[in-house]
Amino acid sequence: MTQRSGTSLEFAFVCSLSDGLHARPASQLAEVANEFASECFLTNLRTGSVASLKSVLAILSTDIRQGDRCIVQVRGQDESAAHAALLSFVEQVLPACDVPLAGAHTTTAGTLSRTLPRTLRAAGVKGCFGTPVSQGIGQGKVIPLNGMALPRELKTRAASDPQAELAQIKRAIAAVRARIQEKLTHPQSPTETAVLQADLAMASDVSLAQKLAEHVSQGKSAGQAVMEAGEFFIDLLRHSESEYIRERALDIEEICLQLLQEIYGLDLQTAAIELREPSVVVAETLAPQQLLGLDRQWLKALVLEHSGATSHVVILARSLGIPTLVGVKSARSMLLAGQEVVVDAIRGLVLPQGSPAVQKFYERELKTLELRREFLPVETTGPAITTDGKTLEVAANSSSYEELSLAFEKGADGIGLFRTEMAYLQRQHPPSEDEQFAVYAEAARVAAGRPVIIRTFDLGGDKSAPYLKLPAEDNPFLGYRGVRIYAEHHQLLRAQLRALLRASAFGQVQVMAPMISSLDEVLQFKAAISEAKQDLHRKGIAFQSDLMIGIMIEVPSSAFILDQLCAEVDFFSLGTNDLNQYFLAADRNNPKTADLTDALHPGFVRFLKRIVDDIHAAGKWVGMCGEMASEIRHLPLLVGLGLDEISLPAAGIPAVKRAVSQLSAAECERALTAIMACREPSAMEELLERAQPARSAQPLLSKELVLLGSQSQDKEEAMQEIVDAFYVAGRTEDRQRLEEALWSREAVYATGLGYGFAAPHCKSDAVIADSIGVLRLIKPIDWGSVDTKPVNMIILIAMRESQNPTRHMKVFSRLARKLMNEDFRGHLLAVENAHEMATYLAQQLEISLH
Amino acid sequence: MKIVAVTACPTGIAHTYMAAARLEKVAKTLGFEIKVETQGAMGIENKLTESDIRQAQAVILAVDIAVEERERFNGIKVIQVPLQEALKDPHSIFAKIQR
Repeated sequence: MTQRSGTSLEFAFVCSLSDGLHARPASQLAEVANEFASECFLTNLRTGSVASLKSVLAILSTDIRQGDRCIVQVRGQDESAAHAALLSFVEQVLPACDVPLAGAHTTTAGTLSRTLPRTLRAAGVKGCFGTPVSQGIGQGKVIPLNGMALPRELKTRAASDPQAELAQIKRAIAAVRARIQEKLTHPQSPTETAVLQADLAMASDVSLAQKLAEHVSQGKSAGQAVMEAGEFFIDLLRHSESEYIRERALDIEEICLQLLQEIYGLDLQTAAIELREPSVVVAETLAPQQLLGLDRQWLKALVLEHSGATSHVVILARSLGIPTLVGVKSARSMLLAGQEVVVDAIRGLVLPQGSPAVQKFYERELKTLELRREFLPVETTGPAITTDGKTLEVAANSSSYEELSLAFEKGADGIGLFRTEMAYLQRQHPPSEDEQFAVYAEAARVAAGRPVIIRTFDLGGDKSAPYLKLPAEDNPFLGYRGVRIYAEHHQLLRAQLRALLRASAFGQVQVMAPMISSLDEVLQFKAAISEAKQDLHRKGIAFQSDLMIGIMIEVPSSAFILDQLCAEVDFFSLGTNDLNQYFLAADRNNPKTADLTDALHPGFVRFLKRIVDDIHAAGKWVGMCGEMASEIRHLPLLVGLGLDEISLPAAGIPAVKRAVSQLSAAECERALTAIMACREPSAMEELLERAQPARSAQPLLSKELVLLGSQSQDKEEAMQEIVDAFYVAGRTEDRQRLEEALWSREAVYATGLGYGFAAPHCKSDAVIADSIGVLRLIKPIDWGSVDTKPVNMIILIAMRESQNPTRHMKVFSRLARKLMNEDFRGHLLAVENAHEMATYLAQQLEISLH
Repeated sequence: MKIVAVTACPTGIAHTYMAAARLEKVAKTLGFEIKVETQGAMGIENKLTESDIRQAQAVILAVDIAVEERERFNGIKVIQVPLQEALKDPHSIFAKIQR
């Protein structure tokens, strides 16, 4: 195996590691090579690339994958010893390097089907998957955040003399190394040790040092040299075939950021980024302040590797209508800075823009969304009343004045939660009383007599501001937040309460305290309000003297002293996000425990029922403003609970109001009782599904479901077109599931029935009501028909699975039989427009179109 | 000649009834008397009675799934074909009966 070739000693080996020669073995290999003075080289025979074995970066950039044949060459005074050491390492140690790190593979919660739509799959498009948490579609250039970016003033800073710049780099490297070594002396886990060692090797890398020296000698400043060397290696690694190596680009980025911080002595991670064109911001996660710092004109979508569906940054993104995906694994290494992408936060996809298939797909998609907006009626007035006459107030959550006006456009009956903390973030000084008064008074005016529940600031937890001087906490959600900081920040509370009271003279303003866990907190809060009232009264400033006072129910302890609390306050609002995570002792932002925080936990539903009953028994009012209220499928539960109000993001209000009017409160109450008795979540889901509003109001067929003159070119496109029409007409909310149901029926055998006709069909609850759709094509397409002839007439039958099957089956079977009739088929081919088609079908099938 | 038939497809929404209609039509043109039972999403319809079966020369099972109450057809000539055959080439099914 060993031989002398020319002037060097060499040996060959085959890489057996399944992840290829990744960062950990590479850093160990470099460590061995660096013990010797000899030059050591590694050649990947598959790619022909050669690298110094003394550089981790160089080794990684040879992209050695499992099964690759490689050659190691050593040359120099201690070559025999070096050769022996390297050979022994490759033979003995290397094969054992593949033991995965503990916790290296975390799962993401609540992911979608992870398949691309058919038409894109057929075109060979590849993309990343994530969980949509704020719906919409956004396109733009990828801007990685928390990534390497130098503030402009540093970019233009002139270099001093190369020697000084080089010395600065060396100092920075030494400092970064020292910091890692310091961490290594008290590691938390073997995983962390391995990662730190790889970081250390990266910081000590000779290739990196060489590249840095090279840039400095060309007259660049230390900072510019780090930027450019970093970009060079990141680019190199990002083009690797191995996902593992691509992810290592982040390690280099991390090291370079640390070097930049050393050089400039500033925290670049939190430096604001300026957006100048349509942008898709990609980050591991974001603080709410960081999101607020981005220019909304250019921020088209947000892609986060972590963050739960109810984290504050996500809630904020949703309220701002920014399409957002979370749980996009390795987004920062998969998506290149500057790359044009489409973020589909409806299906949970990030796709590279540019392929004709993607372009066509999203052109059609935007048109579909536009049509849907036009078609679906928006009911903006009138209360939501159940079929048996019970009214449910449907209010909006809001974080800003802009959102508030949108809420009333969407038909909100009030503002159930006006979050005020956003005004405190991202600034050096708290907002003044007058500034707050202006916002609240305007809100009261816009609300025009409808209630506006203003929640006093809920700071702490993940929302902090420099002037609060809040301590770093191990467990911020169980820490110093909400009402707990009011005693210390009494002046802030006073200013807010005065602003709020002054605004109450202009409309129906109410006040609500967050995070109440004891009676004492309520008494303190009320005392602060009384104090502010007296103050205003003395100065002759107008306010509503009987201002309604409420509290959030989000700490479970408050639910057990409701008798005492009801004696003190006027109303309550269930903050289900925190209430749920405190009740179930599961972090909603932790992907590993996110599944545990399902609102459909039998214990949690019973808990809610008890709270609502206790409050009502005392004659007080209770609403719900948590995420649970924004999920429309929970509506039967919420109506069943007997809540007085629900408050949700404005966009969902029209659909919720419509749905309420189709529910019976008595039936919902029965459903809730049955659901609370369930032993398993799956049984709860089933009962909940059955309790959904009756969709009988929808006729089997309407002219919106008839598409004549279709230009679809193949079966995939035709299927997509007709499913899109269902979506536009509000017949499905889950197109992917409906399409897959149709395709899985096609997989049994194609539904082309001959004579140029096809009858695709499915049983699926992805369709909201039993429906018939019609698509007539200009150009016939292949459908795998029994007579092998192409098809130009498609009659689609979609039936709800959980529905009583005999309900519409008579019509469907009549339709199926008629399709065997030549006259009937001839007529379908001959009719001139959608209206005529719908009328003819209705008459033949003996159904109504209304 | 009298013939009975059963049609059944995987979802029981469309093909069961298309095949039934097709078999009825072709039988008529060939001069057969036919009764077709459908086993679809609505369950069994137009059920074949004992006397229907007793009088029939043969039973056509144009089915993609297991036929319910199959034991009814013990002792009678059974021609079983995939349901699609009834749409694709129903004449050949009837030809099998006469052979």
